[in-house]
Amino acid sequence: MSESTIQPKKKVGFKKGLKQWKEVLPFLILGLIGTGVFVIFPLFKGIVMSFQDYSIMPGAESPWVGLENYLKAFEEEQFRYAVRNTLLNTIVTVPINWFLGLFFAVLINLNFIKFKITFRTLYYVPIITSWIVVSFLFRYLFASGDGGLVNYLLYTQLGVIDEPINWLGNQWTAMLVIWSLHIWKTVGWALVIYLAALQGIPKSLYEAAEIDGANAIQLFRHITIPMVTPISIFVIIQLVMGAFNIFPQVYFVTGGGPMHQTEVLQSMIYTQAFENFNFGYSSALGVMMGIAVFLLTWSQQKKIGKQKFY
Amino acid sequence: MKKLKYSLLFSVLLILTLVSVACSSDTEGTANSSDTNQGDDSNNSKNVEKTEIDYWHTYGEQEEAVLFEEIKPAFEEEFPQYELKLTRQPLEGLKQQVIAAVSGGVAPDLMRMDIIWTPEFAALGALAEVSAMKGFDEVKERLYESPMKTNIYEGAYYGVPLNTNTKISVYNKEVLEAAGFSEPPKTMEELEEVAQAAVANDVKGAINVMGVGKTWDFLPYFWSLGGTLTNDDVTQFEGYLNSDESVEAIETLYGWYKDGLISETLLGGRPGTWEGIETGEYLAIDDGPWYFSILGKDQSKPDPLDYTVRGNIPEGEGGSRSVIGGENLVVFKNAENKEGAWTFAKWMTSENAQEIMARGTGLIPTNKDAAQDEQFLELPYANEYVEQLETALPRPTLPGWSEIDRIISLNVEKVFRGELDVQEALDIAAKEADEVLNEE
Repeated sequence: MSESTIQPKKKVGFKKGLKQWKEVLPFLILGLIGTGVFVIFPLFKGIVMSFQDYSIMPGAESPWVGLENYLKAFEEEQFRYAVRNTLLNTIVTVPINWFLGLFFAVLINLNFIKFKITFRTLYYVPIITSWIVVSFLFRYLFASGDGGLVNYLLYTQLGVIDEPINWLGNQWTAMLVIWSLHIWKTVGWALVIYLAALQGIPKSLYEAAEIDGANAIQLFRHITIPMVTPISIFVIIQLVMGAFNIFPQVYFVTGGGPMHQTEVLQSMIYTQAFENFNFGYSSALGVMMGIAVFLLTWSQQKKIGKQKFY
Repeated sequence: MKKLKYSLLFSVLLILTLVSVACSSDTEGTANSSDTNQGDDSNNSKNVEKTEIDYWHTYGEQEEAVLFEEIKPAFEEEFPQYELKLTRQPLEGLKQQVIAAVSGGVAPDLMRMDIIWTPEFAALGALAEVSAMKGFDEVKERLYESPMKTNIYEGAYYGVPLNTNTKISVYNKEVLEAAGFSEPPKTMEELEEVAQAAVANDVKGAINVMGVGKTWDFLPYFWSLGGTLTNDDVTQFEGYLNSDESVEAIETLYGWYKDGLISETLLGGRPGTWEGIETGEYLAIDDGPWYFSILGKDQSKPDPLDYTVRGNIPEGEGGSRSVIGGENLVVFKNAENKEGAWTFAKWMTSENAQEIMARGTGLIPTNKDAAQDEQFLELPYANEYVEQLETALPRPTLPGWSEIDRIISLNVEKVFRGELDVQEALDIAAKEADEVLNEE
């Protein structure tokens, strides 16, 4: 075809596009305004605030302080704990969540398992329950002294520990509680996604392999794993982001204590803003965290995106 | 297929129960809060002239009843041009809610808030200066000085004290007697002695410092043992918070802790102070008047007056120094009805209103005359608290106090966890506290 025929086609496309936009705009406009007001504006406002000694009062002055808010963070012990714990939470919980999610999904998907939907629902229940409720439940489960259920089981009933553990009063035991709460609350999500992915694998692949004499492990290794790889990437990126966003687990269970040792970035951001009124500082922390999450997931996506799966 | 249906049915049922459980607690919550607004409905027949005074309070259930049944009618009878709109706010997350309301321009006209918040919100520019309002001097005159002072920010007053409180020492009678004492210890030496005897008797914990999470928990011991926070003008922590006397005070406490005289409640151990003193697992706690009023009204629990004896915080190097708590009434800068709010605030500090609240709730009045009210002092524990208040100290009235409070508590906690020695911890705390102080 010559150029002359392409040219008008393009024009029509543009006009048509404009017309289409006009037609759908009334339906989109609410969403666009909503995104603008509740996502884009706060995003930029937060970045601006991070360079200010921000005052929350309407009409009050907020002097510019340059990078002071950012530099302050690196001097603080609380910030070091927050960064360490946020990373630790990611390193510890993401692999466990991923593995358990896949494991249970495969288990439920086995042919001879009955009541599949019941199991799926049961695993999904933690996700829809309220954070506050389960956080308090965990607090009571892991209460110190022999009054807490876990201590009661381990100490009073089984006697496997010498004295009741002050779970939330010590750094690493408190972290253990936070991690288990996080895993318990998220594993169902990975499971449901994987279950859907597994059900999308054509049965014929398995049948063909079985005829060729493949055993169960080979089926899993050479059919299941490759077929769910794109889903795995999605699941892992989401799990990483979820692990970075850890907040209620910490805020409601330990409040960052003892001595800020279980603090994570989100809980520190919250405390700095709404307890200490340091809105500028808190925004700076938020911006840094946003950049970190973006870089992490972006680089992952790029790296993984270049691979060929089949 | 049938099985699938059953399992589907089961899961739907499960979800339904969960959702209904979640919803029912939700509706309960909203029902509660709409309950608190019942006052509005009763005024449907109001004449149009009335202006509304929007008041956020934080009273508990028993106290709220007094507010509705006695305070509101009495105030509206005296000032028929106003209608009092009462909104009960939960303590949990309250500060965040106030910040949101203030920055969004939907703050109420006035509010009852913790005394340590007043300078903080004043510095934020959220509060109206009441010392510039009509009749302030008269109000100031009739109220106690130290609670009044908690309203100062940069030389001006930003609220009036509504009620005050402090903590006294409370001992389990049986444990005390078993340790060989018939009376509560008067001095810190006696306290140490009785604690040692109690520990020898195998109680779970002798002295219960509530914790190290907030200075409120350990300040009575710190001050009574001779410690100080700042200079008199509250402009410096360095040299006071880390003075020899302060170091010695914390060292004494730490020594007691290591010897097992202070129970594990300090670092969050169980049982809690109230349960422990009831069961006789603990010898001594320190707490405010709500300990007696809440448990006294709770029919399912024995009355603490029956199994405890009470005394002042034992005297040490620094005297018998408890810590002052309480609530202030503040008027917001952007209040729609500032005049009405101030009228109500003034009226709430009058002898009449203060007496109503004191008699009904056991909260200690800030009005000098009301504090002498016989009917209030008849409350079996009122006298003891009023007496302790005479020597009790306020925490520094500073906008940055919440942050400084956390700094001090954190470093004291590090001592008890064996991470820092006392001098080191208090040096750091003093330095960081001064930094916050000088930021403002």
